[in-house]
Amino acid sequence: MASVATPATGLTERPEERRPEDFHAGRTVVKWITTTDHKVIGNLYFITSFMFFLLGGLMALIIRAELWSPGLQVVDNPEQFNQLFTMHGTVMLLMFATPLFSGFANALMPLQIGAPDVAFPRLNMFAYWLYLFGSLIAVGGFLTPQGAASFGWFAYAPLSSTTYSPGLGGNLWVYGLALTGFASIMGAVNFVTTIVCMRAPGMTMFRMSIFTWTVLITSILVLLVFPVLAAALFGLGLDRTMNAHVFDSETAGAMLWQHMFWFFGHPEVYIIALPFFGIISEVLPVFSRKPIFGYKTLVFATIAIAALSVSVWAHHMYATGQVLLPFFAVMTMLIAVPTGVKFFNWVGTMWGGSLSFETPMLWALGFLATFLFGGLTGVILASPALDFHLSDSYFVVAHFHYVVFGTVVFAMFAGYYFWWPKFTGRMLNETLGKIHFWLLFIGFHLTFLVQHVLGVWGMPRRYADYLPEDGFQMLNQVSTAGSFLLGASMLPFLYNVFITWRKAPLVTEDDPWGFGASLEWATSCPPPRHNFNSIPRIRSERPAFDLHHPEVGVFSVLPSQETSDQLDRKGSHA
Amino acid sequence: MKTSAKLFMWLGLFYVPLIFIYGHFSEWKEPVGTVGLALSAGFGLMIAIYFAVTDRKLDMSPSDKPEGEINEVSGEMGFFSPHSWWPLWLGLSLAILALGLAIGWWIVFIAAPLVVLAVIGWTFEYFSGENAI
Repeated sequence: MASVATPATGLTERPEERRPEDFHAGRTVVKWITTTDHKVIGNLYFITSFMFFLLGGLMALIIRAELWSPGLQVVDNPEQFNQLFTMHGTVMLLMFATPLFSGFANALMPLQIGAPDVAFPRLNMFAYWLYLFGSLIAVGGFLTPQGAASFGWFAYAPLSSTTYSPGLGGNLWVYGLALTGFASIMGAVNFVTTIVCMRAPGMTMFRMSIFTWTVLITSILVLLVFPVLAAALFGLGLDRTMNAHVFDSETAGAMLWQHMFWFFGHPEVYIIALPFFGIISEVLPVFSRKPIFGYKTLVFATIAIAALSVSVWAHHMYATGQVLLPFFAVMTMLIAVPTGVKFFNWVGTMWGGSLSFETPMLWALGFLATFLFGGLTGVILASPALDFHLSDSYFVVAHFHYVVFGTVVFAMFAGYYFWWPKFTGRMLNETLGKIHFWLLFIGFHLTFLVQHVLGVWGMPRRYADYLPEDGFQMLNQVSTAGSFLLGASMLPFLYNVFITWRKAPLVTEDDPWGFGASLEWATSCPPPRHNFNSIPRIRSERPAFDLHHPEVGVFSVLPSQETSDQLDRKGSHA
Repeated sequence: MKTSAKLFMWLGLFYVPLIFIYGHFSEWKEPVGTVGLALSAGFGLMIAIYFAVTDRKLDMSPSDKPEGEINEVSGEMGFFSPHSWWPLWLGLSLAILALGLAIGWWIVFIAAPLVVLAVIGWTFEYFSGENAI
């Protein structure tokens, strides 16, 4: 029985120290499926969520290929198209983006607070299994005779009832998602407990890295809204399999579902955005050679975004004509304020810095450009007068792809290139990384920028077909061409991962980027089983930087007022 | 009061006025949002109160001391499971249960005992050796 009292041996497992005859495939599989190590679980999340990302991307490519020209060429009937966009949305949001948050949180958060593991290691692994099995069940709908769920990823009642959407696929979708929902809740409980209880001495809340703060706030948000999704899903499950009448239109069930779904659905957008803001906040200071600008305002902006995000759900429901328009319009526009504060901080971090453009920095800048644009169209859609025209059009599709693709995918790759040495002990290839970035960046904007115009011209979302005389074909072809470029950009990345694994030299220093700030850069790449052989003294929000660059200490600013007060109080007690 | 308690307190307090603003302007006719906001307020305040009460009973933890030293937490930090099969078995049996709810009740009857077995296995995994009952 190991515990933290057993000191780590200091022998980081390095592949070259292992002889080929020591490798047993079976033993490795057993080691991975019975693991309780947060780093291995983080890797499992990364691998699984990336598989679902590729699967969802494949569905997107089929959708785009179908929209190349009027008529049905790729899918046999609109029902198949419905299944594709439904599962594309479900996979991307709930099987890729949300678990990716758990992946990054698992892989990094305990390292950043100086903890040996998460608070509940077995619960952590249990959450991963629920996510994997739940996702497989939901996607398994494709193997049933009637196909997968086809009522859109937000499953509006009464379309999602057995009357309008019969078949097993819908049932599998409901119960599969319920499982993944519980996985998110358990992950969140674990993260909150770990952050509250297991920080290293001296790591006060206001010395935690911004990424750890975003993990904490995101987990709180998960705890606020995922139970609502679970309740809604069980209601829908009862309706579908046990003939209950929770979401019957006769008894206002349609509105009940929309309210419950979006009470979850809107904060969900921030659940998949906030941790990725955190990643950007970690990357920018390292490649600007400056501390993060406005640490506390970033923290408070994160809290403000989370708090506000729970009060804006019905801006997805303007078109029902049954919601309180002024309230939701005002609250939604209010969210732009803390988000703007964050942009101010990010730009301020780079301002006057000594910038260098390694791959993680490129991705972070790609994020800034893309997400800014998504945020601006968000303010347009927050205004009911404009939203009535644009609701359910391709403008909305373009908007939310700028928002979620901009945050999740750009920041994910920023994080992968940045922390790859910490995860695997090897640096990804920079040249391939840059090719990957530019292909994806150009492909993405080619795909989605023109969709704004299509939306304003009146092309509705979720239609499998359009008429030649609509005049949509030209822009749809631009969009489709862009999407295939976007898909092709995954090839250099996958090759990069492969060639790095086989050929790249091992990283020997703790901080290969040279200016890492948070605590994970004060341990080896990859870290030992319980993370640290020794933890440096923590006196600021940049403990690893303080450790590696003591010469900068003389230029440090004074401790904050709060810290001095605490020190004074302690002095007066003594 | 520690930062963690304050964080949840402000989060909870933020939703209290919102309940009334939203309720008033929707003329108390839209129950879902009002209830949702009230539950959110309750969530924040409940955890804040728990943290505040617990903090009063405990000494200040070294992690909250601005000048905490690493050696203040030397010794055993707690028990961490080194590896375990039970998360897989519990996850798998619950997945079969969910599959049963979606497909047919007969699967639920197979899965339910498996869930019970997995929960028992998980709970008593470390009740051995010196911890045996």
